Amino acid sequence: MKTNSTRREFLAVGLSLPVAAMASTTEVVDRTAEPTRTLSSASSAKLSYRTIGKTGLKVTTVGFGCMITSDASVIERAADLGVNYFDTARGYQHGNNERMVGAALKRKRNDIFISTKTPSENKQSALNDLDTSLRELGTDHVDIWYLHGKDSADQVKDELIEAQQIAKQQGKIRFAGLSTHTPKVLIPILIQKGTFDAVLVTYNFTMDKGVDEAIEQAAKAGMGVVGMKVMAGGFRKVKPSDPLAPKLKREGAMLAALKWVLKSPNVQTTIPSMTDMEQLDENLKAMAEPYSPVEEKLLARQLEYISPLYCRMCGKCQGTCAKGLPVADILRYLTYADGYGQFSLGREEFLALPSEVTEVRCSGCSTCTVNCPFGVKVAKRLTRAQELFA
Amino acid sequence: MRPLKLVAAMLAFASVACAAELTDCHLVPGWQQAGPTREFVADNLFEYMDGNAEGYLIYGFVRMQGVTCKSGGDSIVIDVSEMTDPDAAYGIFAANRDPNQPMAAIGTGGQILPRRGTFCKDRYYVELAADPDKDHTPALKAFVAEMERRISGRTTLPDALAWFPADKLVSVRLVPESVLGLRLLKRGYVAQYESGKAFVVAEASAESASAVMAKLRERFGATTPAKVADEAFQVKDQYLGGLCFFRKGRYLGGFANLPDAQDGASLATALAARIP
Repeated sequence: MKTNSTRREFLAVGLSLPVAAMASTTEVVDRTAEPTRTLSSASSAKLSYRTIGKTGLKVTTVGFGCMITSDASVIERAADLGVNYFDTARGYQHGNNERMVGAALKRKRNDIFISTKTPSENKQSALNDLDTSLRELGTDHVDIWYLHGKDSADQVKDELIEAQQIAKQQGKIRFAGLSTHTPKVLIPILIQKGTFDAVLVTYNFTMDKGVDEAIEQAAKAGMGVVGMKVMAGGFRKVKPSDPLAPKLKREGAMLAALKWVLKSPNVQTTIPSMTDMEQLDENLKAMAEPYSPVEEKLLARQLEYISPLYCRMCGKCQGTCAKGLPVADILRYLTYADGYGQFSLGREEFLALPSEVTEVRCSGCSTCTVNCPFGVKVAKRLTRAQELFA
Repeated sequence: MRPLKLVAAMLAFASVACAAELTDCHLVPGWQQAGPTREFVADNLFEYMDGNAEGYLIYGFVRMQGVTCKSGGDSIVIDVSEMTDPDAAYGIFAANRDPNQPMAAIGTGGQILPRRGTFCKDRYYVELAADPDKDHTPALKAFVAEMERRISGRTTLPDALAWFPADKLVSVRLVPESVLGLRLLKRGYVAQYESGKAFVVAEASAESASAVMAKLRERFGATTPAKVADEAFQVKDQYLGGLCFFRKGRYLGGFANLPDAQDGASLATALAARIP
C-alpha cells in the first residue's frame, strides 16, 4: 500500500510543477487563423514552443521521432503543420531512415531543425558517420548531433567530445548533444564536461523523482533537455498480440503520457515515435490541450496496472529474498511468457537456474522479505512463475 | 494446450541450438571469440540496440544471439536475430539494406559491403559488422557462406514481391505498420518505382478488405471511381500525390505519389493482374 501511495504522490508532484514557470518559458501559437491547412482537425492545432537550453533553437514542444515512421509523407505533413524538430540517427535502418527524413524535409530545411546521432566510439569513426549523415540527409549541417546511447561515464570519451568540437568548427553541426537512458548518472558528468548543449533523455510518467531532479540540474546548467521514450516503457513493450494490450494502450493513454512530459518546464521538446498520420494528429493535441485531472487519473491507473506486473530491473531486490531467489531474473522470465507469449523461452531460462532455486516455492513462506519500490507484487509473480515453469 | 506448448518448447530449443551453431567464431579459420555470447529478447533488446530496438521490434523480433570474433587487429560483430517468420526476416533485411548497393545471392537475400554483411534466410536475419575501417569483404564472405549453409528452411522471397511489375522498380520493402502512413492499411509491401510507389496489403477476407476501401473513400473525400479489379477509386492528395486504390478479393493494392492520378488506373490494372 505504501508504494501505491508513493506513486500517486509522484504523479501529484508532477501535476503540481510550477505552472507559472512553464508559462514563462512556453510560447503558444494558435494556428487556427492560418489558411490552407490540410486534411484533418490537427490543422487547427495550437503549437507551443520552447527554446532548447542556450542554443536559441526555438522548437515545438512536440517534435517528431522518425525512427519507425512508415512513410515520408507523415514527416512532410508534420513539417507543414508546424512541427519543427525532427530526430533521426545514423543507426536507424542503417541510414535508410536518414535518407527518408532528408527527402521528406528537403523543401523545408530552412524552417526546421534536424538532429541525428552517431553510435561511434572513436573520433574518426564519428566524424565519418557525420559526413555520411549529412550526405544521406541532403544537408550541409545538422542542428544537434548526439553521441548515441551513452549510459556510463566511461562511454563519454574525450575523443568523441573532440569530434563534436571539430564538427562545430567546421560548421557541420550547430550544437553538441548526447543521448542516454541513465540521466541520473550521466547528467552530472555532462554538466562537468561543459561541452554539451543538449541531452536527449528517457523521460516518462513511470520514472522516479530522481530523473526530475537530474533534468532540473541540466536545465539550471543551461543544458537543453529533449525527452524520448515519452510514451513510457510500459507502452513501448506492448505488442498488439499481448493480451494486456487493450488495457495498456487504452484510448487517450498515449496522449496523456505525452502531456505529462510536457508539464515539466525543464523539457523543451519531445520526440515521440510517429508511425502514421493518425498518430501525428493525436500527438499534436498535446500542444493544444492542457493536462487534465482525467488524464492524471488515467495515468495513475496505467501505473497501477503496469506496476504489479512489470519489473523495471532496478536491482533493488537483489539479495533481499530470504530463500536466495534471483527475483529480477525470475520476473524477467515470467515476462517472456506472460508479456510476449514466449512460454518456452521463459521456462528454458527458469530451468537453467540451479535446482536449489527452481525447487523453492514461495507458498512455503508466511511473509515475503522482498519489497519492490515500484510496487511489483513479487510473491504473487514468483508464485506464478513457479507454477508455470517448475 | 499441453501438446502445443511442448511443440513450442521443442521448436524453441531447436532454434537455440541453431543460433548457437551460427554464432561460432571458429566457422572461419583464424578467428577467435572475444568476450561472452550475447543473448537478448524483446524485453531487453534495448540494452544492446540502445535507441534502435524499436526498429527490430516492429518487424516481429523474437530473440538475438551474438558474438564478437577477433583475428589479429580485426574484429567482426555477429548478431543473429530470430524473427517471427520468414517474411518478417526478409522485411527487416530489406529495411536495413543499402538500396544503392547490389544484392548478393545469399539465402533469401543478402548484401556484402566492405565493413558490413547482412542476409536473411528462413526466419533468421544475420548481421556482421567489421572493424577497423578497411575492406573486410573476404572475411565477411567466408563467415556469411558458412552461416548460410547452417540455416535450413525457406529461401524463396515472399510471394508479394513477384506481384509488383518489374519495369522501373527500384526496391520493395515490408512496411510492418501503416502502409503509406495510413493506419487503415495495417501491414504490407511497398514497392518504390523511379516515379511513385505501389503497395499491396492483405486483409483477412474480401469483406474486411471491402470495409477498408469504404473507410479509405470516406477519409479522402471526393474520389473518382475506377475500373480495376473488384472495386477501385482514384484521388489526389497533397502528400501522397496521385493515388489509385483497388481491391481484388482480400487484397488491397494501388499506386501512390504519381504525378498524374490518371496514370494510376493503368498501373493498378497491371498490378492487380499479377495478384492471384
